[in-house]
Amino acid sequence: MVRRVVRIVVSAALTVAGAVGLVLLMMALAPGDPIDLIPGGEAIRPQLEAEWGLDQPLVVRWLQTLGRMARGDLGTSISYRPGAPVLEVIGAASVRSLGWLLAALLLAATQSVALAWYTAGRSSWIRGLLRWVSVAPVFLLAHLSVHSINTITFWGMNLSYWGRPEWFALPDQPSSVRAVLAVVLLAVGSGAVTELHLEVESALTRIRASGYVDAARARGSSTFRLVAWNLLPPLASLLANRAAFFAGGLVVLERVLLLNGAGSILWQSALSHDYPVAMGVALLAAIWVAGARSLADFTRTAVDPRMRESASW
Amino acid sequence: MLNALLGFALTIGTAQAGSLRYAEDHAPAIVNPLFSTTMSEARLNELVFEGLFSDDRELRSAPRLAQRIELAEDKLSATLWLKDGLHWHDGKPVVPDDVVFTINAMKNRYTASTEGARVTWIDKVEKVDENSVIMYFTGPEVAPQDKLHFKILPAHRFDGTTVKRSDPFRTKPIGTGPWVMMSFNDDNSVSLQQNSFSPSSPKISEVVMREVSDKNYQAKLLIYQSLEALVRVLPRDLAALQNDRRIELYPYQTNSWWYVGFNQKDARLKYVRVRRAISLMTDVPNLLAPIGTGDTLTGPFVRSSPYYNHKVSAWPHAPDAAADLLVEAGYTFNGRHWMGSDGKELSIRIATLQNLETAQDVVINMQSQLQNRGITVEVDFLTIAEWKERVWRRKDFDLVLSQWSFDRNEDVYEHFHSKGARNFVGYSNENVDKLLEDARLADDPQLKKNLLREVHAIVHNDLPMRFLWTLDSYSALSVKVKNVEIHPFYFFTWTPDWSVE
Repeated sequence: MVRRVVRIVVSAALTVAGAVGLVLLMMALAPGDPIDLIPGGEAIRPQLEAEWGLDQPLVVRWLQTLGRMARGDLGTSISYRPGAPVLEVIGAASVRSLGWLLAALLLAATQSVALAWYTAGRSSWIRGLLRWVSVAPVFLLAHLSVHSINTITFWGMNLSYWGRPEWFALPDQPSSVRAVLAVVLLAVGSGAVTELHLEVESALTRIRASGYVDAARARGSSTFRLVAWNLLPPLASLLANRAAFFAGGLVVLERVLLLNGAGSILWQSALSHDYPVAMGVALLAAIWVAGARSLADFTRTAVDPRMRESASW
Repeated sequence: MLNALLGFALTIGTAQAGSLRYAEDHAPAIVNPLFSTTMSEARLNELVFEGLFSDDRELRSAPRLAQRIELAEDKLSATLWLKDGLHWHDGKPVVPDDVVFTINAMKNRYTASTEGARVTWIDKVEKVDENSVIMYFTGPEVAPQDKLHFKILPAHRFDGTTVKRSDPFRTKPIGTGPWVMMSFNDDNSVSLQQNSFSPSSPKISEVVMREVSDKNYQAKLLIYQSLEALVRVLPRDLAALQNDRRIELYPYQTNSWWYVGFNQKDARLKYVRVRRAISLMTDVPNLLAPIGTGDTLTGPFVRSSPYYNHKVSAWPHAPDAAADLLVEAGYTFNGRHWMGSDGKELSIRIATLQNLETAQDVVINMQSQLQNRGITVEVDFLTIAEWKERVWRRKDFDLVLSQWSFDRNEDVYEHFHSKGARNFVGYSNENVDKLLEDARLADDPQLKKNLLREVHAIVHNDLPMRFLWTLDSYSALSVKVKNVEIHPFYFFTWTPDWSVE
């Protein structure tokens, strides 16, 4: 068990180090640097390179960044919010994004389990419908939703069917409607609902047909808790796999819906070559993905006795 | 907190006169005029800061923080007196040290101010007494007030003239302008409150800049009355906004022109025949038509400029003459492509900025025009960082499509002088250098006009750039906003007179 925990922790640490290195590499390979974006910056390039650590080889910068991160120091922003500590820049935004991601995962899990519980073992039109609803990518769904909601609301306002809602017009007015929309679209779009539904349905069918469920049924006891308990490991794995997709989708949704979360900051800091901020967000994204995977591993280990046996072996 | 309390103190007791919400593509990262790089920053600076002089409605320099200026007889220095009773937003008085600090900070190379070029003509500045400063110039100046429009900063908020972009001032700016910066908000919007002690007595109580990065939404939000002002309307949105009775369109003619620049370090494009051939193959009105309306140009000034040389005729669209020029330059046409003497196809790359509105349409149209005439064209859409690296640093381009914007001085020295900082195309002509130097020193407006008109004629012929057009450009405002007059460059200069019903 201890060995398994160590393995999970090491795997998570490697994911984080790899993600930070990958973002650093991608930004270094992209044409230009933050000094290029400063008019007249060329005149003081050596000074700025030394100040921002750009004069160091990439590997050194990566190791320095990891070292700083291990001490809880994410550095200071160089171009997105010049001079501001990265933690201050991304702190509140990251908490918001984390909330939206967790809400989206919870919604995705609930809807897929509820639908799969109904459709498993049946021929249902719901599968076809889900495929149609879920086929569009999240950015397209977001644009369509915003346009439709605004058009219908404005039409009703002009005809005096209703007054001007506080959240109108999307996505400009700050309101919780934008966040709710983001959560729903993440849980539904880019194939999320179809994929999760089919996987959960398949797991559910397998569990319902298993010997231990048959035995419980033969004893006349309720199978609900048994099925639900055994559904946890595959569901945890599915959601852990989906966590990274959701994080990617949220970056796009935050831009479209003008939500100021970590994804939006990542986008803008990458455009402005703000390495510390981009790597700070990358670190959080990696922690999110690694955390989700670790949690799935722990869930599987805790629920499935076979996993515990293999771990102790 | 202090800012909030101060803002409250400044606004308390004043009538709430509505709020003005306007959209920008990107929220500014820095609100410090020393580091202004984008028009959105320049517009925000206009609300928060003031210069010694600013444009009046006839676009003449009128005193703002300055009371008056007296030019020495030799025109090599001037004494400037500040108005009495001026205060910064934090309540401290405006003093000559602020003027001295601002100019020295702009000149300090370690500050790397983007506005440094605006004060190169000032050799040094000294405080004379508690109300005046004296400026010494590098050469004779006729109308220094025309160059003293840059924003003045409070010396007491900085430790020295080496100012970093990361200075906390960037989000807590203190100016003397008609609005006080209150907060940078979580959604990247910026809120400003009326400075009721401002001599310009702004009528609007609150101004909010909203970041709406998707241009497709901006016009919609104005129609939905979520905004009161849209700084620049996309040509495709003009009709919809024009037909909405709740919206009024206003011309917003920035002093800017589009061009195609030729890299004269390129072995093929250094020959004027090749540049002329490409120009003659290009049908400029046809490039302009799909993206809007405007005036086609023959030189580096807008048509309304006193320096525009109306005697210069535009390059015609003459593909046959272009073919003759290419033959003279040693190229042969094989029925499909123009081939060089080295046996290679004449192939060029046109680069433009990804975020330059409608530039992609123009480049693709131009690619089609040139390819139809046998020149192979590749197009590159570059991010700002790629643009800086490839075009400015490595000079790795053949043709570029872009635009230049100018303030009231329309100084093209940096663009066409062989040592000009913005002459990235590598243009060099001794005559032009001399004319530009003389124009900078000319104390007679008529002489300056004649010199720059001559520059216009020469660069038209030399073709370091193919001058294209100035685009008709519009702002849109809700009809609730009254007394609207828009400054042709800074947009908000005359906003204190606006009101919102």
